[in-house]
Amino acid sequence: MTVSEIVFNDVSKFYDEVLGVNHVDLKIPPGITSLVGPNGSGKTTIMNLMTGLIHPDRGTITVRDLSSHDPEQLMRITGYATQYDTAPRGITGFDFVSFGLILAGYNKKQVAEMTWNALESIGMTDAAHRKVASYSKGMRQRVRLAQAIAGDPEVLVLDEPLNGLDPLVRAETVALFHEFAARGRHVIISSHVLQEVDVISDQVIFIANGMIVAEGEVRGVREEIHEHPSQFMIRCRDASHVASLLFVQDNITEIKLHDDRMGLLVMTRDRAEFSRALTRISLEGHTIESVVAADANVDALYKYLIGGSE
Amino acid sequence: MNNVFRLRQTWTIARLQLRRVFFSRRSFWVYLLALFPAVVFLGHGIKMKVDYRMMSSQITPVTLLESITKGTGEEEVIKKTGKPIMDRRFKAGPKRQYMRHMMYFDGERRWNLFFSNGVLQNKRSQQIFNFNADRIAFATMFQTYYLRLAIFFGCLGMFMNLFRGEMMDKTLHFWFLAPARREVLLAGKYLAGIIAAVSIFAAGAVLSFAIMLWPHHTAQVTAYWHDQGLSHLFSYASAAALACIGYGSVFLAFGLVLRNPIIPAVVILFWEYINGILPTLLQKLSVLYYAQSLCPVSVPINNDMPLLIRLLISPANPPSVITAVFGFLIVTALVLLVASQVVRRLEINYNTD
Repeated sequence: MTVSEIVFNDVSKFYDEVLGVNHVDLKIPPGITSLVGPNGSGKTTIMNLMTGLIHPDRGTITVRDLSSHDPEQLMRITGYATQYDTAPRGITGFDFVSFGLILAGYNKKQVAEMTWNALESIGMTDAAHRKVASYSKGMRQRVRLAQAIAGDPEVLVLDEPLNGLDPLVRAETVALFHEFAARGRHVIISSHVLQEVDVISDQVIFIANGMIVAEGEVRGVREEIHEHPSQFMIRCRDASHVASLLFVQDNITEIKLHDDRMGLLVMTRDRAEFSRALTRISLEGHTIESVVAADANVDALYKYLIGGSE
Repeated sequence: MNNVFRLRQTWTIARLQLRRVFFSRRSFWVYLLALFPAVVFLGHGIKMKVDYRMMSSQITPVTLLESITKGTGEEEVIKKTGKPIMDRRFKAGPKRQYMRHMMYFDGERRWNLFFSNGVLQNKRSQQIFNFNADRIAFATMFQTYYLRLAIFFGCLGMFMNLFRGEMMDKTLHFWFLAPARREVLLAGKYLAGIIAAVSIFAAGAVLSFAIMLWPHHTAQVTAYWHDQGLSHLFSYASAAALACIGYGSVFLAFGLVLRNPIIPAVVILFWEYINGILPTLLQKLSVLYYAQSLCPVSVPINNDMPLLIRLLISPANPPSVITAVFGFLIVTALVLLVASQVVRRLEINYNTD
């Protein structure tokens, strides 16, 4: 185990009789990791366990070698933007963001500087001295994000962080996540927007019914799923002919010809064999313009692993 | 992390919490509880002043009033002492007897003369400004209402809400996500509660005490102030403060484990009321046991009261002041120790995903 991992070791959590998560074993490396699963699958439970808001009934959790039972140390390196849309009554946006920094021991000047920087990065400086209760839903989402990033944490945990953000702030926020990840930090995200997850994640954790269904890089996860044929989109000039050449292969289960006759959707049970066949066809003089995996994305994996679409 | 740093964290948490406990809408009724005795004593004082001013217009020499004896006729009394300040005729009793009530004032006391069928039956005098009676009234109010009800329910509302209120408002995660130990969070919130409760209730006690003194003669008040007044005031304020500290710790602990405040309120109120009849060891597990021992004036118990009621309002055997303060602080520390264990295991639970 390396110090920079987030480790769940056989973690189970029940809410009375209701299952939260069961037998979760995870080792999350630095980078952007997305938690994907339907409502009630246990995404928030995992995030709450990670940040010590709830405690496991069984198993242990360490975040970069710190126990989740030690908020004093843990929350110095962790920022968590929760899904909870509430703040203590009467608190202003500035106080909401600065509170944790003061407790972390920064001096007044540093607190002010870090708070303004965080608020500025999500475009909230104008409303800083207004009460959080008077904020719109989107502003509350942003101020939670500002609070999470204010301390420049090593671990950033974000529950549906992009909800309610306008496109510009959304793009800036995603860039911020990438910047965090590039500096060797953890960014743990739960999101319902699968296309977004696909674009921003280095690795994905699929959760269903409180259990981890799959984890890892999207491509790696896809390769582990054998019961669903892999799908490839091929763009070529003589699509009908290429289709006939491919169809004689045993591993090909289905081919769909595009309406424009310039493309094919091929389904294969053996990616390696398919790749070799395609090389042969290309060497025979057929022009293959592009080959793209059509289902090595979070949306497709979600359908395969969990079923339906979120 | 050293202790100074943690103390600073505690103060930071308390400072943020203070605004909520002082100015929350939920705390509004706490001010009413604390100020109620002041309002009552103010009303009493104003009435005394008004009565005095009204009666001062017609003063009858005390020697004349003392010379009137039972059995004297109405007309003879009027002839001797002049027209009364108040004269009321009415019929009462099973035979609907003719009755008359006359009132005179000698400059200090009001004299009430009750006649039946034209003959004086009863003569009573009562000081308008009765300093001793008011001091005992204050002591009774303080021990029966202020300690047992106002501070009790005030602290119930304030301290149970420190964590339970956050859970209800779905804001507890804000505090739990702070880089501070849970014990520090507990201490900060408790400190805020104590500052607010002590300020409100000690100030309420001091204000009531001052208003109780206000209508009385300056010389009398000055003499009392130099003799015992200041120490009495300090004792009442200290008893109020200690009661806040004690009830605060108990309700803070209950607020960590229970959602419904009615259950602990009933249990603790019952426990406090039967404290006087409990074995000595159990008496010591009570806030009232210690707080009452700091009260400087004991409450007279009326023998006409039913035995059970007398037992319920009679104080337990009071310890010495030093024993009371130390015992009290030890009990409070124990309760807070238990609470700190509970808060470490406390989880947010607002129907999580």
